[in-house]
Amino acid sequence: MADYGRPSEIGRIATIILGALILLFGVIFLGGGAELAALGGSWYYILCGIVLTASGVLTIKGRLLGAWLFLLAWAGTLLWTIYEVGFDGWGWLPRLFGPTIILVLVLVSLPALRRRDTIRPTIRSAV
Amino acid sequence: MRRISLLAATILGSSLAVAVAHAQMAGHEDRLPGPVSSEAYHADPLNPKFEPPSPSSPQAPGVNAANLPDDPEIDISEVPQMVPQVSTNPAPADWPAYGRTDDQNRYSPLSQITPANVGKLKRAFVYHTGSKPAPGQANKWAAETTPIKVGDSLYTCSALNDIMRIDAATGKEIWRHNSGVKFDSIPYTAACKGVTYFTSSVVPEGQPCHNRIIASTLDMRLMALDAETGKMCEGFGFGGQINLMQGIGESVPGFVSMTTPPPVINGIVVVNHEVLDGQRRWAPSGVIRGYDAETGKFVWAWDVNNPDDHHQPAPGKHYSRGTPNSWAAMTGDNELGLVYVPTGNSAADYYSAMRSDKENAVSSSLVALDVRTGAPRWVFQTVHKDVWDYDIGSQVTKFDYPNADGTKTPALILPTKRGQTFILDRATGKPLPEFPVEERPAPSPGVIPDDSRSPTQPWSVAFPRLGFPDLKESDMWGMSPIDQLFCRIKYRKAAYVGEFTPPHLKKPWIEYPGYNGGSDWGSMAYDPKSGIVIANWNNTPMYDQLVNRAKANKLGLMSVDDPNFTPSSGGAEGNGAMSETPYGIVVTPFWNQYTGMMCNKPPYGMIEAIDIKTKKVLWQKPLGTARANGPWGLPTGLPLNIGTPNNGGSVVTAGGLIFVAAATDNQIRAIDMKTGEVVWSDVLPGGGQANPMTYEVNGKQYVAIMAGGHHFMMTPVSDALVVYALPDDVH
Repeated sequence: MADYGRPSEIGRIATIILGALILLFGVIFLGGGAELAALGGSWYYILCGIVLTASGVLTIKGRLLGAWLFLLAWAGTLLWTIYEVGFDGWGWLPRLFGPTIILVLVLVSLPALRRRDTIRPTIRSAV
Repeated sequence: MRRISLLAATILGSSLAVAVAHAQMAGHEDRLPGPVSSEAYHADPLNPKFEPPSPSSPQAPGVNAANLPDDPEIDISEVPQMVPQVSTNPAPADWPAYGRTDDQNRYSPLSQITPANVGKLKRAFVYHTGSKPAPGQANKWAAETTPIKVGDSLYTCSALNDIMRIDAATGKEIWRHNSGVKFDSIPYTAACKGVTYFTSSVVPEGQPCHNRIIASTLDMRLMALDAETGKMCEGFGFGGQINLMQGIGESVPGFVSMTTPPPVINGIVVVNHEVLDGQRRWAPSGVIRGYDAETGKFVWAWDVNNPDDHHQPAPGKHYSRGTPNSWAAMTGDNELGLVYVPTGNSAADYYSAMRSDKENAVSSSLVALDVRTGAPRWVFQTVHKDVWDYDIGSQVTKFDYPNADGTKTPALILPTKRGQTFILDRATGKPLPEFPVEERPAPSPGVIPDDSRSPTQPWSVAFPRLGFPDLKESDMWGMSPIDQLFCRIKYRKAAYVGEFTPPHLKKPWIEYPGYNGGSDWGSMAYDPKSGIVIANWNNTPMYDQLVNRAKANKLGLMSVDDPNFTPSSGGAEGNGAMSETPYGIVVTPFWNQYTGMMCNKPPYGMIEAIDIKTKKVLWQKPLGTARANGPWGLPTGLPLNIGTPNNGGSVVTAGGLIFVAAATDNQIRAIDMKTGEVVWSDVLPGGGQANPMTYEVNGKQYVAIMAGGHHFMMTPVSDALVVYALPDDVH
């Protein structure tokens, strides 16, 4: 264990917290989105919720794919926002402001995730 | 969903700093209407605790607040010919009526303050009315006052109807009349929009009560005071006042109130009153009455369900109950001998099956009454069979419409909560040919048994509508995707088919425009020189649902005159018992109830300029910043012009400026009339939910605003009348 040092331990905890946050969003999107779709509303939240849930789980597990899935969700959300409200600033605020903050966190955590992802087989083989 | 919402909001705490409007709904202090025979009274079979008193029972103690004797009745022929009044053709320096002149156009010819120098405007003085909630008292305050100015004095009233004369240059109080209105007499709101200046036609100049202040009170008295000294006019009523609860029948203090300055037309002072909304089908009457402005003696009544009887009811009788009331400021017309009465709904706003044909003909309408007889000369209806509380809150503005052939038609501007603005011929009540009104299909027959909706509703198709398109799911808003999702679900759960979505029992329905407007009591300003209308309005949908009687009882809803009534039993704005009907009503803003933010996207309030000649919008801007608003009622401090709900109107001046407060950011601002840009603003000591005014004394122009705040708008209450002027070295 001593090999991994303090910085990567902090990175590990940070990516787990970030993953949990994304997972929380994903679960809420799935639950609320299912209710909304059942009421005849938008399917965006269910679809996005699936991607976010997967992203959250994989990020917690230290898989780089989790980050890529979040980027996918964010890009999809951007396209959906343009589709729904065009370039209306008030329309962008709820759809993209919060997710963009998380996007920044995901990008910042990429090195830590990459490190975790590459050492993962080592851990597994060691077990 | 509550936990989810709060959690998500916490997660996204960082986004709080982003401008977000706190969903504050404007305060309309509406009221309900009322008549009826006691046979029509049906007690609640489910629980006797929820039975209001019989409509034929006597008035509770304190309803005749000053224990005044019955007022005698005289014939119109005994009313003297009225001398010309100051408000008919005022000096440029004066502001002698609520909307400045008899036209009520909120236009001042003063031009000392201009877009070029307004940046130097400073507070000249602050006058304190002394009326605000005492410690431990519920906050029901929203003064909504506009002073009037004649000569070198301001005349104004406090929220509890004390009347004051103030030196217009210094703010020094010259006299004060203590009206003795009690807290219990406050209906939905302690408001006093203003007082009336009247010059007697019989008392000679120089004698007491030659010039008078006529004022109405929350506890339903009409008073006349000597403008010079503030002493009650002995020749008016009983020691200077009359009891307006005479003939109203069963009531309790706070059920029926007056909040507007009564107009005097050809010697007749006309009074209307608000009746608290949402209480019971057989609430007190919405009767309109005319009195001799000299003596206070009764001349006529207009009682909707007894249209041919213009007399006072015999002892033990009362005016017809449940009839549409009128709580907005009325406008007089000396030339045509008319008073323009903006009406509301019959009592029990959201259920119309028990209304008479006579009520249906005049509710949510503008009614032109002949001031000699009290009989309607014409009626223009803005909503047919209104079950959306679209009562008319605005005062109408008179103007002369310039026809293409050079002639002029006496006309009026009628703003509505729907955002439809009707331009009518004053003589006939018909829309001007240039401003046609179309009857367009509306959702009908609705879903409530035996209560069908009108198949059509009137639209003023040529005048720009004050409103946005119907709501879509994608218009839902929030701080984050999660509260936006919450509002999307709320949107989809409700019935909504656009404007006039009929009331529902099994699920909520969205009422959009909301009952705060569109245009509410702030009314409109009109510059007769340029033909430009200034209108500020709201964009605040409501979320309503009818509940059956058992559910209403479970919610504890009961009428204000129910012996078991407590302040939690429902009020005018929120949930209402609507006793004596099959249903109660649950009303909230269409908001995220956990964050206090509206579900629809901003802006929530707008101001715009419309050229009445070309019918074009010259400019349109959001009104109000996010500085004092935010989620959970927290101020964001941001100057972002998000457009907040607003209550209170504007002033337009020959100096090319518009002065308006109204928004929930507690600011007064000056707007360049040409561009719509805010060129000056100041933070007030309380909410600026009042119409400002402007005047000149000793060669200096002043701008005054009552920063009384508004309990329902959740703005800070104060007793400060704030008055501005340019420093001496500027002009």
